[in-house]
Amino acid sequence: MAVLARRLDTQFQLLEAPAILKPATPPQIVESGEGEAVRNLRATLEASIASKLTSGSELVRAVARHRREEILPTTIPPLDALLGGGLARGKMTEIAGRGTRFSIVIATLAAATSIGEAAALIDASDSFDPQLAEAAGVDLRRLLWVRPQTMKETVTAAEMTGATGFQLVIIDIGSRRPPGRRVPDAAWVRLARVAESHGATILISAPYALTGTTSEAMILAHSPRPRWLGRGNAPRVLAGVETKLKLEKHRRLRPGQTTTVFFQCEEAVGSAQSDVIAIPTADTRQPTAAAKAS
Amino acid sequence: MTRLACFYVPMFVLAARLRSEPDLLNEAVGIVEGNGNNAHIVAATRRARKKGIQPGQSLAQARSLLPKLIARGRDAECERTAQEALLEVAETFSPRVEDAGEGVVFLDVTGMERHFADEPGSAGVPPASDAELRLARAALRACDAVSLPARVGIAASKLAARVAAELPKSPTVVPAGEEATFLAPLPLTRLSPELEVAAMLQRFGLASIGDLAKLPESEIASRLGEVGRELHWAARGIDPRPLMPRPLPPEFREGTELEWPLVALEPFLFIANAALDRLSKRMEIQGFACKRLEFTLTLDPEGYDARGIDLPAPTRDVKTMLTLMRLDLEKTPPGAPVVGFSFVAHPDRPRRAQLSLFGPSAVSPEKLATTIAKLVSILGDGRVGMPMTVDGHLPERYAINVFSPPPPPDMKRTPARARGLLAVRTFRPPIPIEVTTREAAGDDVQIASIRSIVDSETPSPTPNSRNRVEVGSKIDIGGTVRICSGPWRIEEGWWSDRPDIREYWDVELERGGVYRVFRGGAEWFVDARYEM
Repeated sequence: MAVLARRLDTQFQLLEAPAILKPATPPQIVESGEGEAVRNLRATLEASIASKLTSGSELVRAVARHRREEILPTTIPPLDALLGGGLARGKMTEIAGRGTRFSIVIATLAAATSIGEAAALIDASDSFDPQLAEAAGVDLRRLLWVRPQTMKETVTAAEMTGATGFQLVIIDIGSRRPPGRRVPDAAWVRLARVAESHGATILISAPYALTGTTSEAMILAHSPRPRWLGRGNAPRVLAGVETKLKLEKHRRLRPGQTTTVFFQCEEAVGSAQSDVIAIPTADTRQPTAAAKAS
Repeated sequence: MTRLACFYVPMFVLAARLRSEPDLLNEAVGIVEGNGNNAHIVAATRRARKKGIQPGQSLAQARSLLPKLIARGRDAECERTAQEALLEVAETFSPRVEDAGEGVVFLDVTGMERHFADEPGSAGVPPASDAELRLARAALRACDAVSLPARVGIAASKLAARVAAELPKSPTVVPAGEEATFLAPLPLTRLSPELEVAAMLQRFGLASIGDLAKLPESEIASRLGEVGRELHWAARGIDPRPLMPRPLPPEFREGTELEWPLVALEPFLFIANAALDRLSKRMEIQGFACKRLEFTLTLDPEGYDARGIDLPAPTRDVKTMLTLMRLDLEKTPPGAPVVGFSFVAHPDRPRRAQLSLFGPSAVSPEKLATTIAKLVSILGDGRVGMPMTVDGHLPERYAINVFSPPPPPDMKRTPARARGLLAVRTFRPPIPIEVTTREAAGDDVQIASIRSIVDSETPSPTPNSRNRVEVGSKIDIGGTVRICSGPWRIEEGWWSDRPDIREYWDVELERGGVYRVFRGGAEWFVDARYEM
């Protein structure tokens, strides 16, 4: 111990009186990213050209910011809030249940294609309507429409398009599973790896949970409730459909949160909210057993 | 002064065969021409020549010298494709190329020498100070890339260039104006004179090309005629005929004849893979990609099977082309053993895209073409592409086009807020239904209940949910209508004899589900379900 004490004494001067704390020197001003040379150069250039000039440090900051913002918003505010901003890039997200899954798919396609990204829709039920999609804001020129007939073809097409470089790949399965044998769980693991290695956003929309633990997040879409315009004996017009979404699983967020989204018919766009009526029904539709089990 | 290069492939017949069968490169191989007792060797590999095999020997003689000699017949398809490959290599050096027959190509390289540099890191080769020597070395490398052991000579005349190319130490560059000096010591046989003329020149006492060049042209012409005059020009290093450039071929060909008939798909694809690989490399040299692949199978004992595959986008990916070929052959087998094949690739410019630094990343056109080709081969025509709307009023109208996305914007934008439209799931084709109607205000009809028409031949459906049962590949819909909205009338083609007049309703069933129902004539259908 004595030897050790002597060593400490020599190293840290424990036996000396404690030094009086002095205020630390103010830190040096961190360069804002716009260096002197860049500032001078921008001043001499025309505004339209100067706005396009990027310095190296600005580029590094932009790349870092881009990495933080690696989400693709669905542009449906309640759903984005539920998912912490949107669909995670390089991950697989699943929406299961009997709710308004297809409307979410169309909105996500519109969001991705409107910013110039290429999207692939693997439409296993062959129920995509290009006219409605265009009305919803989907840029059809950036959309690859794939219509497989079996589950195996569906997963294969998703894997191939994801590996090709499509930024958004959506698998939509209608109200029932496509014919053919059930795909093994390893296929979903492989698909998740494709998403991760190529930075693709993969969205699975199915009537029941398919991806198990491989997906980043899982949303349960409860059975929807239609809303109609028109009271009394007046003729009715379908106003839209309301559905409840529940965050069943998320790797970063606490599950169990719920939200309600409303999708309106194109004919009812612009009608006052007070005109929309909910006709009571005895049918209290609940999520399917498969979705519950997930 | 015009400068000409000559690409010369010694023992072209053998080189063409080894290009198709590279496994034989280190074996004792002899190329045989003729059948039965007339079969004789026309070329042999170095290993065979070391054992005494010489051109001109009969096959029996060659076998007695070397029993393990691998004999291969002359393959016209191999030789033709090898010649085409040589011409295509030449076209990468000059646009003016003359096809001079088996393994010989002339090209005009005047002013082209400045575009070529020495290969970096070529060990053992001193750097070339002469620009033409650099060009010649680049030509040798290019020929080597298409598996042709060519030699290169550069001179001011075709004869001098050819003689320079035939020299064993390749490449050889004859300095400008020194063609006559270069040719002078060579024997007259290099000029390839006709037999009678050669004998006459020998009687004149002429031994070398230089001896002929020294004589006056008029004297030679008066004694030997037009042939003599041309020989005299050639001896002086002057071409009697200018370079005859060939037009660019509209397609690329590869093929071979097989030693024995193939009855299984896998061995055929193994050989086809190598041929497609060669085809792809040739197209790459020219900067082309394949937009249509035609292949002709030679069947045993006779007949041909010709097919064609249209690629969704120009591609050079061998794997894709092979997959498409496999799927086509599996779908409709040729029905007889295959003893030969030829591939014809119709070229097109591959798609290019300028990638953005700050915008969304674009999909590589090459990879996209490959993926779409594979998807089409797996799913079939009309199931992959870009969706398009069609002018008209009927809601089920759509078109599908070739997917070729526009380039992404330069800067990344923020997505606009969604319109939040309710989507419908379209039924293709519409499901026929039976409808019970009830009276409504005015002339309108309101729907009281619907029930899909089940084909009597199909087995009785089993309910798997409250109001849906699976019937084969269709959905059975039925129930009492809770809310009915409509009708909306659509008329299309009113100017025609059979206009399409429809009335549409939105119906919500008591048991849940909102459907789009329409009446066309006397028949009722459900053509979509609102997202449920």
